[in-house]
Amino acid sequence: MALTSLVFAVFCTITVAIYFIVPKKIQWVVVLISSVIFLFYNNLTVGTIVQALIVLLSSYFCGRLIYKYKENPKKSKAFLILGILLILGQLIYLKYTNLFLATVNHVCNLFNMDYQFQFVQRNSLIGISYYSLIMIGYLVDIFRGSTRAQDNIFKCALFMTYFPILSSGPFIRYEDRKEELYGEHKFSYESMCGGLVRILWGLFKILVISQRIGMFVDTVWADLNTYRAIFAVAAILFFPLQLYTNFSGSIDIIMGISEIMGIKLPENFTVPFASRTITEFWRNWHITLGAWLRDYIFYPLQKSDVIQKLNKKCKKVFGKKVGKKIPLYISMFIMWVAIGVWHGGAYTYIIGSGLLQFLFIFLEDILGPISKKINNKIGIHTEVFSYRLYQTIRTYLLFSFSMIFFRAPSVSSAINAIKSCLMLNNIGTLLNRSNLSSLLGNIGLDMKDFIILAGAIFILFIVEKLVLKGNVRKKLFEQNIIFKWTVVYALIFAIIIFGCYGAGYNPANFIYRQV
Amino acid sequence: MKKFIKSIIFLIIFFVLWTIIFKVLWLDKTTIGYFYDEPKKSLDIVYVGGSNVYAHYNTTLAYDLYGFTTGIMSSDSQPSSSVKYLLEESKKYQSPKLYIIDLAKVGDDLGNIQDGQERKVIDSLKNSKNRIDAIQGMLKYTNIKKEDYINYYFSFLLYHNKWKNINSINIIGNKQIYKGYLFSVFTTKIEPQEIYQWDNNKKIELKQDNKEVLEDLIEYIKVNKLNVLFVVPRRGYINNAMEYINTATDIIQKNGYEVLNFNILDDFKVDFDKDFYNYQHLNVYGATKYTRYFSKYLKSHYDLPDHRDDARYNSWKQEYERFKSNYNEITTNNFDDLLLE
Repeated sequence: MALTSLVFAVFCTITVAIYFIVPKKIQWVVVLISSVIFLFYNNLTVGTIVQALIVLLSSYFCGRLIYKYKENPKKSKAFLILGILLILGQLIYLKYTNLFLATVNHVCNLFNMDYQFQFVQRNSLIGISYYSLIMIGYLVDIFRGSTRAQDNIFKCALFMTYFPILSSGPFIRYEDRKEELYGEHKFSYESMCGGLVRILWGLFKILVISQRIGMFVDTVWADLNTYRAIFAVAAILFFPLQLYTNFSGSIDIIMGISEIMGIKLPENFTVPFASRTITEFWRNWHITLGAWLRDYIFYPLQKSDVIQKLNKKCKKVFGKKVGKKIPLYISMFIMWVAIGVWHGGAYTYIIGSGLLQFLFIFLEDILGPISKKINNKIGIHTEVFSYRLYQTIRTYLLFSFSMIFFRAPSVSSAINAIKSCLMLNNIGTLLNRSNLSSLLGNIGLDMKDFIILAGAIFILFIVEKLVLKGNVRKKLFEQNIIFKWTVVYALIFAIIIFGCYGAGYNPANFIYRQV
Repeated sequence: MKKFIKSIIFLIIFFVLWTIIFKVLWLDKTTIGYFYDEPKKSLDIVYVGGSNVYAHYNTTLAYDLYGFTTGIMSSDSQPSSSVKYLLEESKKYQSPKLYIIDLAKVGDDLGNIQDGQERKVIDSLKNSKNRIDAIQGMLKYTNIKKEDYINYYFSFLLYHNKWKNINSINIIGNKQIYKGYLFSVFTTKIEPQEIYQWDNNKKIELKQDNKEVLEDLIEYIKVNKLNVLFVVPRRGYINNAMEYINTATDIIQKNGYEVLNFNILDDFKVDFDKDFYNYQHLNVYGATKYTRYFSKYLKSHYDLPDHRDDARYNSWKQEYERFKSNYNEITTNNFDDLLLE
């Protein structure tokens, strides 16, 4: 059920209507039923039921036992490990078997062994990567004493399967959301209007911008020999924007639906493309994933005995300043590999959204002070518009480069894409008028589409600028009715008329849905 | 309460804007769409079928000759599965004395129709239960997946993308001319064709889907007690169409309905050297012969009124005059001279 589909719109409308009709005490039951329907929509098999039950029962019973034995750390820890192993085990089995097989095959190749494992097809539920990690976080929080275990298995199931976040997050924490998830909510006209406007903005980003860019990017990626040089460069540079508008647009829809139901979710983006460094970029991009990995992987690693011992040793060998950095980089490396693995069971994800990001952040950390010194010495002002612009563009370019691997179906294809950017032979022929119009014609976009795209990106830019200054929707609702309604109507009809949907288009699926 | 009223006003404005915008975005109105432009209960005959209907039958000439009015519900390669729904739709707005159904497409493969043929029918129908029935009834014979039916229920899913082709006609609105008859420079062309020989004895069993559609249509006609005449136009046929039509004719006649086959009428003559603009369509000269013959036949066989002295039907006269004037301009001949032949 794509977030931009009519089926999803009808599904949400019915859910919200029933949610506000039934007694407030059982509102959470309505959401649970909808979540179960969403989870198993078009994918109800014995296997998928078992998958969901493994995670639910592991979380529920281990959570209860961890809480029960909170005074007995050994037992409590044993149940925590058991819960994590069960949840992680099913996730690895369902999502990462092929990654494992690919690794074994590579090793076999390396040693000239003939045997090659065949890849397997696993049917996993939507949101498995989200709810598995969310429930691991739930168990860890109980173990740490930050929250108590949920007594009601159905409420536990709602926390696990809350339908708006299944397809694309954000990650939520039990302690932060339990009141809203299980609480009673009165219908609020303001929340409804606010939620609907946010949904519209999400639809605008996905259907008008992301889908349109996607047509270009997909065509270029499908034939990098024909669409080489400037086309390949343009596709690579456009992809982060496609990804962002698709991902943040989905989050807007999710937040909007939740807002209507009175459930507030954590923000997942804060204008990431305004970031001046990759480190800053990841503080503004997929924020809740970063927070989850920091809380449940990075900090525990840093506090672990192994890292602590290493810290001491390194300080002795390399001195205090350098010595303390080495264990930090090791923890960071592990965290970034985990981010890469979470994005998908393929090396492309590990390289694109893991290793390269680590490399950039590592280099920023190492080279940052040197660059600062050089700037000071030669008198470069770093707090001026031009320097900030340079940093922002640099960050965008680095991220675009890393996304070549994220977008590519294989590592070799990512390398081909880079080579394709450098294929400048016969560039004149490539760009002559008739060839250009034929190439653009094959993409399915004409000049009018590019004008609409440019206009939509400009609107996105303005709105993102305003977001940096404050709450845009709040500002909009403070305006007079004529202006307010004109903006909303313009948004609605821009989506309806200029959106890429319906016959002739693929449903606007969330790019991260493959996870 | 204030918020509730505000919401209602918001929705009303939304629907007004929606209607205006999609009227502009909707392109390619077919004769089915124009059918709604005729005043209620003003048509004496409703003529349903594919392009042969609007290319062969000059409604304005028939009116000028005998004074009865014919409404056309025709679209390119109209699938036979659509006829029942078009009859039902016309029944809602008109009470014709006679329905004419073109049989040229009766044997066409329903599972293999191109997207567009069924759209031209479905998209032209006003929103109603009949439209929903038409979508389900027509598409079940095609290879269109059920999950894609939504593109038919909500036409904007397809048409929203037509903003790229908007022109002044879309904005100021388009009006039907010649009361549905197709006349243009194109239909004045003369393209000699090979004479098509009709053989009544050649027959092939109708495919299951076509048979089901035909039987369903006959049942509908019987239940609704409609006065119906089936016609087979004079033209060239391919892909065993003649064999299928002969089989369908037997079924129709067995059920007590008349089939008028212009391919076997001794006194109806068209010239394959001069009267066609392509193998399957009569040009304006052939269409004039067809209309003169057929309108005379209709007048003599059915009790059809003469509205020529009724001021309420002036638009028919005006459209005939428009047709004649444009014919004279395009061909540099006088249409009245053609009628003398």
